[in-house]
Amino acid sequence: MSAALPVSVIQLLQVLTVAFGAPGVTGVIAKVEARLQGRRGPRVLQPYYDLAKLFRKEALAPEGTSWFFLAAPLIAVAAYLTIPLLIPVLTTYGLPLGYMGDILGGGFLLSLASFVVATAALETGSPYAQLGSSRAKTFSAITEPVVLFVVFTVALLTGTDLPYALAATVRSSAGQIIRPAHLLAAAALFMVILHETGRIPVETHTGTNEFGMIEEARAFEHSGPFFALLKWGSELKQLILFTILADVFLAPWGLASTQQLGAVILAIVALLAKACAVGCVVAVIDNSFAKLRLFKITEYVSAAFLIAVLGVFTLYLGGG
Amino acid sequence: MDPTQAPGVYEGAANVIAAVMLLLEFGLLRQALARDQIRLYQAQSALISVLAIVIAADRNLPDLYVLAALSAALKVVAVPLVMRRLLGRTDPIEGEEAPGVAGSQTLSPASAVLAGIVLAAIGFFCFGALKIHGPAAPALALALAAAMVLVSFGLMIVRRDVASQAIGFFTLENAISLAALVVASGLPLILETAFLFDLLVAVVVFGMLIRAAHGRSESLSTADLTRLRG
Repeated sequence: MSAALPVSVIQLLQVLTVAFGAPGVTGVIAKVEARLQGRRGPRVLQPYYDLAKLFRKEALAPEGTSWFFLAAPLIAVAAYLTIPLLIPVLTTYGLPLGYMGDILGGGFLLSLASFVVATAALETGSPYAQLGSSRAKTFSAITEPVVLFVVFTVALLTGTDLPYALAATVRSSAGQIIRPAHLLAAAALFMVILHETGRIPVETHTGTNEFGMIEEARAFEHSGPFFALLKWGSELKQLILFTILADVFLAPWGLASTQQLGAVILAIVALLAKACAVGCVVAVIDNSFAKLRLFKITEYVSAAFLIAVLGVFTLYLGGG
Repeated sequence: MDPTQAPGVYEGAANVIAAVMLLLEFGLLRQALARDQIRLYQAQSALISVLAIVIAADRNLPDLYVLAALSAALKVVAVPLVMRRLLGRTDPIEGEEAPGVAGSQTLSPASAVLAGIVLAAIGFFCFGALKIHGPAAPALALALAAAMVLVSFGLMIVRRDVASQAIGFFTLENAISLAALVVASGLPLILETAFLFDLLVAVVVFGMLIRAAHGRSESLSTADLTRLRG
């Protein structure tokens, strides 16, 4: 186990880990959630089977849609697969392409993906898809300030806005973990992630509750491989956000610090384990809270905003 | 101080506790039910005892352990018990929420939180401008206490019922205890205890106020007092 991998292979492995690990993490969350409700639940591998089935089906597009309707899922997945190049997925050191974008760059890619999916949903003329994309855009506009303040906290803590730098800062001493600015920023980010991945208390993740739907409604008109890409895309987004939370904020340990094959394999296992741990917390929250009414989501976001702003305030006086 | 430098673990823990206390204060701002407000007050008071223990361990002040125990007995057990009994007596039907507490907000929860953020910012930046630095006075915890004082004032202003105003006043006392703990943790125990018993006076006064308001107008809402103008 002493073979050293070239950095380009590790870089590719970052993308492949996220690409092929994401449905598995979704499967684990669904399983845990079902067990908590006293059901046996689907197989952990079920999301893979779902995707395989959808990829074999034929694709239909509603009448009157343009090429953009079918291109949108491809653009979205491409954007999601670019983000793992920018964030520390497997390594503590920055990989060659790791510095081509900072946290804001990753944020732009996430917004681009969500924008093209919403635009494609608008093209269909279907009321539910349009409702979903309109709501998704409205609420993502109000979560944007929270994300910005989290980025400000990171920038004040490290002097840069590179995710690698924050992970290194958190690893450097126990004092960096327990400082309020770091904990508040992580808490605010977690609340944003619950919102972005469409979890309780913002949205019901399963079932067909049309009136409460936000993100889930946007894919109503897609079918076959394109629907599979959208599903896969939301699973990728979930794993990417969990990776940012775990590998940058909460637990940047277990990452490979060398190019050894063994260390990289260990890092892949550690990443998936951390993502599943975050997923278990999300499943517990899913089962212990009720969905908020649509007009109460602003209250939820204002709580996240408060936490993020306090994080920046505590840094202003230096002691945070 | 350079923000990229982390403070020590003890100071960090003290600051985190202060920050969580401020968050609970915001929780009070949003909370609509009196019994949940009392629960949040209990949590906040428990945190201040934990903070006293952390500071006692950090600065080697055994007196503070006694203070932590006393403060826990008073604020986590006694005051909430008294408040629950007072509110229980004004309950028309067993198990129903005390009148005038739910829906007594003058602002919507989101606006109340935003107003609270502005108040907290004023507290923060005023204390930042004072430039209090030194090993014995962590600027951050002090500024958090100042923000808490202002937010608890805000809580008393945006609520129209006596029960919330009483809880707001008690949390004001918590904020001042927080400031006292971080700045003057070496204060003699007898003085700290005297401050604690000030709280009992407030409880008695607010108890009388709650009973008077309820006896006069069958409601805890201060809106009913406006017609008493001369």
